[in-house]
Amino acid sequence: MTSRGEPSRPRLQRLLAMVPWIASHDGPTVTEVCERFGLTPAQLAADLEVVWLVGVPPYTPDALIDVVQEGDRVWIHYAEVFSEPNRLTPDQAVALLAAGASVLALPGGDTSGALATGVAKLAAVLGIDAAQVLDINLGGAGVEVLDLLRRAVRDQRRVHLDYYSFGRDARTQRDVDPYQVQVQDGSFYLLGHCHLAQAQRRFRVDRIAAATLLAESFDPPSEGTSGRVFEPDPDDPRVVLRLRPAARWVADVHPMESLEEQPDGSLVVTLAIAAEPWLERLLVSLGPDAEIVDGPRALRGAGGRAAARILARYR
Amino acid sequence: MSATKLERLLNLTALLLDTERPISAESIHDQIQSYPRELASFRRAFERDKDELRSMGIPVRVEKVPGTMPAIDGYRIPREEYALRDPGLDRDELAALHLAASAVQVEGLPATEGLLKLGGIVADPSGADLGVRIAPLPADPNLSVLFAAVAARTPVAFRYHGEERTVHPFRLEFQRGRWYLTGFDRLRDAERNYRLDRIEGLVELTDLESFIAPVATTLGQARGAWELGDDAPVRAVVRIDGPQARWVVQHVGPDHVVSRASGDASDDEVVVELPVTNRAALRSFVLSFLDHAELLEPAELRADLVAWLEQVS
Repeated sequence: MTSRGEPSRPRLQRLLAMVPWIASHDGPTVTEVCERFGLTPAQLAADLEVVWLVGVPPYTPDALIDVVQEGDRVWIHYAEVFSEPNRLTPDQAVALLAAGASVLALPGGDTSGALATGVAKLAAVLGIDAAQVLDINLGGAGVEVLDLLRRAVRDQRRVHLDYYSFGRDARTQRDVDPYQVQVQDGSFYLLGHCHLAQAQRRFRVDRIAAATLLAESFDPPSEGTSGRVFEPDPDDPRVVLRLRPAARWVADVHPMESLEEQPDGSLVVTLAIAAEPWLERLLVSLGPDAEIVDGPRALRGAGGRAAARILARYR
Repeated sequence: MSATKLERLLNLTALLLDTERPISAESIHDQIQSYPRELASFRRAFERDKDELRSMGIPVRVEKVPGTMPAIDGYRIPREEYALRDPGLDRDELAALHLAASAVQVEGLPATEGLLKLGGIVADPSGADLGVRIAPLPADPNLSVLFAAVAARTPVAFRYHGEERTVHPFRLEFQRGRWYLTGFDRLRDAERNYRLDRIEGLVELTDLESFIAPVATTLGQARGAWELGDDAPVRAVVRIDGPQARWVVQHVGPDHVVSRASGDASDDEVVVELPVTNRAALRSFVLSFLDHAELLEPAELRADLVAWLEQVS
């Protein structure tokens, strides 16, 4: 691989980091340098050839950086000008600290191990208290349930879940082959094959009241498990909703079967309704910003009926 | 990039780092032979190089060359602003940071660049796996500048809900899948939080005096959507019926439970008290239980909720 086609920024950044590192170590091996800085031996050789030509005034031989290669080891001398790497930019600092803080924030995470001390050292150099300036919460999940699910995914063991199904507003008991624990949009999810639904499903971990490890094991699917999880049932009733501008966000978070822009900025959308409580929740929470314009007779007054039931508690 | 340009940029960085006295463009042209000899081409190349170095966070400063009359612009890179103090990360710590950065990405912000400066990429020897797949944290155009402001305790200015705010940025929070800034709002004269994706336009660093941030004691806890907003604070009391009580307690945290109907059985109703600065989010939360919950206090929010429900068709 030639170095000619490589974009300038990463190569310069790498050199400004790599030169101080090699210079401060007593002859690291080519393999180690390549591993640490993500290079092929040919790229390293090309980089070192450039370093040879760099120095400070008066540019006499003793003011040029000296690269020595002996066997598989490499030394850099007379690189005092590059004795330290450049500071982290705010981008780089955020990326690293957010990653570190996220992993430390996983329920049951090791808060005294190498990651914790690494983050603390990094924060000290940046002059901050990492925990005070960056507070990361990936989502709520009980440590015990989460630990059990992670273990079950790793060992490919079936689990039994006591699960509150929010969409159906009902507590259910089900056996699940757990494929993956996911964190997305502020919640933990378990993705797996549900034996009750006979299909792949995603469960919010904070709605799992209890989980138990079963004796059965399973083979995870060979293809990726991150594909679309929710496929509407063709037999589910369809409802056509008008969403006023304040409720347009609904179309970004729920799968729509059709979507029509209206001149006044509202949207007319078609939704598959798997469970009526789900529709009721949507309608009462959107209030005046949504209305049903078409759908089966049984569902048409769903919002008003739910509102009346709730209002009964307030009178 | 050609090896020539790379060599030139390295030599320029070395020259400007090595000098304590700002160096004029003319003198840079004389000293770095790999620049074009023709003056107009040199000027163009030099401008591009300065931009390139600055875009990487290298502080190329412009100062007057001492003793010149009329004054001539000179350039240097102050070492005290350039150099990263060695944090002294050991192999395990570098490996742990690398593992974390592989598992959690902030969209659009590569962590590798930072790792190289800290000592390179070190693979975790145990081949550890978090056992959790974490979706990338969302990008935001103001995330880095706000982090810099939080770290340096610099007051910032931005437009939010149609008003110009001046805020002492205390910390960045990632809650419910979104970035928030928590800080002292000088307009509201109170602590507030702001959704980064609702900030209108770009955040500006002000030249106001730096501030002292209060020490937060309730960090590390998930916050409810009702806590993340800009409304005047109130405390809301909500009763939730039995079947939902268990996950509600898990969701809001046991500290917020004010009473349980009878004993500790998981299926008894609970009453929770919640600090609210986002009234619309509280309403959605209460309504998500349909008729299995009731907003008890304050009377004002209860009346708002009733009025809202009367509009549902």
